[in-house]
Amino acid sequence: MTATAEAPVTPPPIRDERMGRKSGLARLLARPEAGAVAGAIVIYVFFFIVAPPFRNASSFSSVLYVTSTYGLMVTPIALLMIGGEFDLSAGVAVTSSALCASLFSYEFTTNAWVGVLVALALSLLIGFLNGWIVVKTGIPSFLVTLGTFFVLQGLNIALTQTITNQVASPDISTLQGFSSARVVFSGSFTIGGVNIRTSVIYWLVFVAIATWILLRTRIGNWIFSAGGSPVSARAVGVPVGRVKIGLFMAVGLMAWFTGMHTLFLFNTIQTSQGVGNEFVYIIAAVVGGCLLTGGYGSAVGAAIGALIFGMVNQGIVYAGWNPDWFQTFVGLLLLGAILLNTFIRRRAEAAA
Amino acid sequence: MFRSKKRAVGIAVMAILALVLAACSSTGGKRAAEAAAAGQTNVAAGHANTPHYTIAMITHAAPGDTFWDIIRAGATAAAAKDNITLKYSSDPDPTKQAQLITDAINSKVSGIAVTDPAPAAICPTVKAARAAGIPVVMFNAGVNNWQQCGGMMFFGQDESIAGVAAGKRLASEGAKNVLCVLQAQGQVQLEARCAGVKQGLGSEGTMSKLYVNGEDNSAMLSSMTAELTRNKSIDAVITLGAPVALVAIQAIATAHSPTKLYTFDTNAAEIAKIKSGAVQWAVDQQPYLQGYESIDSLWLYLTNGNVLGGGLTVLTGPAFIDASNVAQVAAYAARGTR
Amino acid sequence: MTTPQNTSAGKHRAQDTPSVGQGSGNGGVPLVRLVNASKRYGAVIALSDITLEVGAGEVTCVLGDNGAGKSTLIKIIAGLHQPSTGSYEVEGTPVAFNSPREALEHGIATVYQDLAVVPLMPVWRNFFLGNEVRKGLGMNIGFMKKTCKDELLAMGIDLRDVDQAIGTLSGGERQCVAISRAVHFGAKVLILDEPTAALGVKQSGVVLKYIIQARERGLGVIFITHNPHHAYPVGDRFLLLNRGKSLGYFEKSQITRDELTGLMAGGAELEQLSHELESEGGAAADIGHAMEADVEELGIAHQASGTDTAPAVTRQEGTSPR
Repeated sequence: MTATAEAPVTPPPIRDERMGRKSGLARLLARPEAGAVAGAIVIYVFFFIVAPPFRNASSFSSVLYVTSTYGLMVTPIALLMIGGEFDLSAGVAVTSSALCASLFSYEFTTNAWVGVLVALALSLLIGFLNGWIVVKTGIPSFLVTLGTFFVLQGLNIALTQTITNQVASPDISTLQGFSSARVVFSGSFTIGGVNIRTSVIYWLVFVAIATWILLRTRIGNWIFSAGGSPVSARAVGVPVGRVKIGLFMAVGLMAWFTGMHTLFLFNTIQTSQGVGNEFVYIIAAVVGGCLLTGGYGSAVGAAIGALIFGMVNQGIVYAGWNPDWFQTFVGLLLLGAILLNTFIRRRAEAAA
Repeated sequence: MFRSKKRAVGIAVMAILALVLAACSSTGGKRAAEAAAAGQTNVAAGHANTPHYTIAMITHAAPGDTFWDIIRAGATAAAAKDNITLKYSSDPDPTKQAQLITDAINSKVSGIAVTDPAPAAICPTVKAARAAGIPVVMFNAGVNNWQQCGGMMFFGQDESIAGVAAGKRLASEGAKNVLCVLQAQGQVQLEARCAGVKQGLGSEGTMSKLYVNGEDNSAMLSSMTAELTRNKSIDAVITLGAPVALVAIQAIATAHSPTKLYTFDTNAAEIAKIKSGAVQWAVDQQPYLQGYESIDSLWLYLTNGNVLGGGLTVLTGPAFIDASNVAQVAAYAARGTR
Repeated sequence: MTTPQNTSAGKHRAQDTPSVGQGSGNGGVPLVRLVNASKRYGAVIALSDITLEVGAGEVTCVLGDNGAGKSTLIKIIAGLHQPSTGSYEVEGTPVAFNSPREALEHGIATVYQDLAVVPLMPVWRNFFLGNEVRKGLGMNIGFMKKTCKDELLAMGIDLRDVDQAIGTLSGGERQCVAISRAVHFGAKVLILDEPTAALGVKQSGVVLKYIIQARERGLGVIFITHNPHHAYPVGDRFLLLNRGKSLGYFEKSQITRDELTGLMAGGAELEQLSHELESEGGAAADIGHAMEADVEELGIAHQASGTDTAPAVTRQEGTSPR
């Protein structure tokens, strides 16, 4: 028995003869965004053909604007779904944040930015509570956030009514700080005669940040594992609970940003706004390749899903159709996107 | 992740500091509104010593529509004067509104004031209230069949008449292609307005309709912008509610459309827009009067057996608010009563 | 350093437990040592008086059928629970772990039956999960992919593409990735929870090779299995569990493969049953004789005539229901 060990005996390598080389195209098709890109191209071409106003640049700017109003929330929802959870209160949380900022600064006659900060604190708190309850009780997030959804929906309407005796938030355009906040959150600029709202730029920046976090940081690794197999993740030391709470708070942060954009663009907020949007966010994420069961997906794909929504939303009006068809279209879109995603992924795996 | 905990605390501290230091705004806000209201006369004049009654007011108000705040302000003022407790409730869904009326009947109120946007759902409950011995007055919506519906009096505007008047004025001002924007589906009074506008335009111009979601500003903005972009020949947009008109201003600007904007109904912000010229004129049905008279007429019936109107509609409009008379109205609008 | 001899439920064969295997250069201090450890969950006694140890370069096998208490034992060693009574020492120092992370920091790595891998994630992401290499605000992805590929190659797996989802690998390969991961991140003790349970013969052979590989690299391995044919070739010590109690704790020199198999197969019960039937007489006695012959074949009879006193009593203590 010597202290120095002998050189370890290496068994002969196992060559996995079943793994062939994947072609470049097959690799591309296997990406989570593939289905969304295919769908976006199809829909763009479709509306290009049937709706002449769709073709020009300023109409597309309008499409991008509508896309960004959804996309700002779709991004954190996609991350949350990859992390294995749902947030059904996301739609009304936007309105809650906007109402908070508006009511606070109006009632206390403060600078508009004070209301903005208070709303930020509230939104982060709502996100934290959602995440904390889910993590501590183990109740599915679908149910927990469904409860939060009803609470917020009721509070939006009832609290506003109680405080202001009105059904819409008060006029805050005369408060100091309003115009600067408006420039920051709801500004627009013109390039080559086309008016573009800054929300589009913000949306793209947030998508880039989210993608970087997902793919290039260890937190991204943790998010994938928390959604893919939280048990395995915990076993190797990933702080799954804290990751999930962080994701819910990210949703809260974007709900605040979106709320501020809406508030400073329209000045008054309708208290019932936002109901129904939570499903649009989830659908856009699923269209973009996020699995409902978690552990797989892409922020870029979800952004393309939001773009599909924007194109359909505006395309229907540009084509002169009855806007009521929007709902039916959305449902068909969801089914079609999931089928397309599944089809492409199976082809990609078979094509190797 | 403990780093972020520290950061969270830091943000909280900064926020509190910001609140304390930067805080107050020298313009606008509640302080300004209260200062403006301070010197005003209280429209609820005195307090009757008649017996106390409870009256339920049930409308089809959708959350976020400021029009109903004005109606409610009138009803509240009358209730204060008449020693009446007002129970206000609303739901844009007709079946739910009907349920609210039934709830009022079951709570044995002394009188009921309702709007009727959907006769098929609302009228059975009105008749049930009358059968239970509760007096019912109607207002604002359902002007065409309130008598068969069971109502004793009606306060409001004949939306068809108002629509025709608006259409005629649009024609006289040179509008050729009018877009009528409806903020809800299936409400008779909204449909009647657009139909009236079309009739009033006659052969002078064409009218098309656009349905938008009145409860969502962003959706309204994008729908109207898209339609104005699609149809460049539109030269007049007429909306059927003040919040919609305010969003329409933005849509017109975004679509770079030369169209002019007109509307039914007003609120304080919109009056300011008429002053500035962003909105040409508004058709006013005096909602404050509708709310006030609904309650006051029930009080007169309960205390003195009076009935107003002789079986016919008591008209509260239409009247036009335009550049020529907006200055007088503006002061009243600022305190939420016009 | 001796191990206690008489526990309430099982007899240890040896008076002494000499350190076996290579790599005992740490002076013979076992890496992991449980002494008379028990675990109660309320009124349920999951483990009762268990003693085992493993040193560097050694393999201790824990054998037992389902319900024997193996998973509870793993949880205690892995740091998920603490023993209700008894001591748990790591390298001679008593420890009380509050989380698997703490055990990990002491070099005790567990490879679970469900492998603690995330099927949808690529191999390299799984490899570095929880131990990602950072570069600035992000990760050093190139380094991680290369390291993963190299480490797997050292263990004998050549993956062309470490980007493939780990779920696409075969069961044996996934086990090897998990083992390789533990070894790479400095595990001193590897706990393998039924690694061959779901594998075919060839794949099982591959895993056993890696267990030996890990042992050669100086790790201590606690190998949990219900298959004595897998355990015997690689094990240095064997702990048999049944219903939370130790049926026996043997050095390799003290037990043959057949004896091990016999004990596992409940050979003691067979012998008892054969005596019962023989005493009945007639047809039953014939069956009883046949069973006794089987028992002899399995080698249990030799145990019965061993040096311990009243071995039948011993076995009864270990196996009779309460």
